[in-house]
Amino acid sequence: MLGVRALFGIGLLVTSRGGSVLTHTGACARIASNIYSKDLTHRQACTMADTIKYLGQEEAQHIDEELFDEYSFSVDQLMELAGLSCATAVSKGYPLQSLLKSPPRVLVICGPGNNGGDGLVCARHLKLFGYEPSVLYPKRPSKQLFQNLTTQCEKMDISFLTEMPEVQHKPQRSIPHRSHCRGARFISHTGYICSWDVENGCPDGIQPDMLISLTAPKKAANHFKGRYHFLGGRFVPPALEQKYQLNLPQYPGTDCVHQLN
Amino acid sequence: MIYLSSQANTMHVMSSVSMRFVSLSVFYSKTEVATVETELLRDYHFGQQQLIEIWGHACAIAITKAFPLSSLSKKQPTLLVVCGPEQNGSIGLVCARHLRMFEYEPTIFYPKRSPQSLHQDFTVQCEKMDIPFLSYLPTEVQLLNDAYNLVIDAILGPETDHKEVKEPYAGMLVTLKQVKIPIVSVDVPSGCDVDEPAKDGINPEVLISLTAPKKCATGFSGKHFLAGRFLPYDIQKKYELNLPEFPGTECVIEL
Repeated sequence: MLGVRALFGIGLLVTSRGGSVLTHTGACARIASNIYSKDLTHRQACTMADTIKYLGQEEAQHIDEELFDEYSFSVDQLMELAGLSCATAVSKGYPLQSLLKSPPRVLVICGPGNNGGDGLVCARHLKLFGYEPSVLYPKRPSKQLFQNLTTQCEKMDISFLTEMPEVQHKPQRSIPHRSHCRGARFISHTGYICSWDVENGCPDGIQPDMLISLTAPKKAANHFKGRYHFLGGRFVPPALEQKYQLNLPQYPGTDCVHQLN
Repeated sequence: MIYLSSQANTMHVMSSVSMRFVSLSVFYSKTEVATVETELLRDYHFGQQQLIEIWGHACAIAITKAFPLSSLSKKQPTLLVVCGPEQNGSIGLVCARHLRMFEYEPTIFYPKRSPQSLHQDFTVQCEKMDIPFLSYLPTEVQLLNDAYNLVIDAILGPETDHKEVKEPYAGMLVTLKQVKIPIVSVDVPSGCDVDEPAKDGINPEVLISLTAPKKCATGFSGKHFLAGRFLPYDIQKKYELNLPEFPGTECVIEL
């Protein structure tokens, strides 16, 4: 077929952690103040300490598991927030008015896992932001969630391609099955970069212009050489952040993305 | 200064600050709300948790616009989120969680928890974020005025029959009507008839309409936001919603 390996890797997102239910009367405000001031002190300490943590594969998976198992987040909840982050990052890096081509077409290539699901949500939000996304989704999982996300895109008149479109630009190297991606003008990736090892990267792999790290960056992001590195997926509970010492930066205002470079 | 005129079902809003003309041609009735939601779930395959997440997130953003952290008068950015038993309450829970992420200090009062696991998940998520839950709502209004900067009314939504407000909600509404601190209502002011201009229920300072404004928002004189940017264009056309254009990547717009 295309000879292209799954272009997006495993999705991340997921957190959960144990916490206690507090019920109180009368002194509600004082108790709340104690809880919140403890977290504020921690965040202040974080900003003074090391920079943001880059996760290994195992750690990323543990965080995922905790988000679902302990914090009771659902995949579709977090995927919605992750996809929104991705679309927002794309619109910051490549604002509508800056695009050379009209209409403002974007190709969203979705793999078979959660990362592909993030891509579907991203495509839907890009459409609402005024872009013209098309989706290439060669291997669709049978899980209801992915079918639902696909329907949502289709009903928004987002076209689904049946094959990878030809790219006009001549690739630098003649690596057949990757040349299509290489030729695209800008490539932005969510999660970790396809065909890269989560921790070690890959010098021969795709070199995206933008990387959107979800939840926290992965070790492979140390090898990222593109222009834009965004952090997205603003849903990590403070306690989980503390547990894994993620040292996440403070997102600006209510933004769901934070530019790391 | 906002100039309002109404003409049949059309409300024209002009803001002298931006000189932007926002014309809304439809205010949803209760039946239309239910129809659209059914279509979103049945035909568009949105998930209920997904929609509640979208609404709750957008609500939280609207609240930060109406009451930025720097504008709060009390030393701590406290606020009370009062959650009812159905969808409106769950939206309140998600809103509280996002407000927490935005560095506010929400406390939740959620007296009757929904038995549905879908809604229970939202509770656990808040608990695990260390958001305190009150075990009762004080009837001494001064306690609320002193402790919180504002109250988020996520008690009763368009799905509730305003004529049959049972306890503990009837009592809660009596208390909340007396607070001196601002109230922000999620979607509809609790206790109001969705299809009539609001009169008997909570009288909020800020109303956050979700997806599209309801009929009870006609003539609302406080700050009015539209929150939730996800509605497929087909549905907007079908119901002739004529929603305003959200700026940039915003999911909230002030009406």
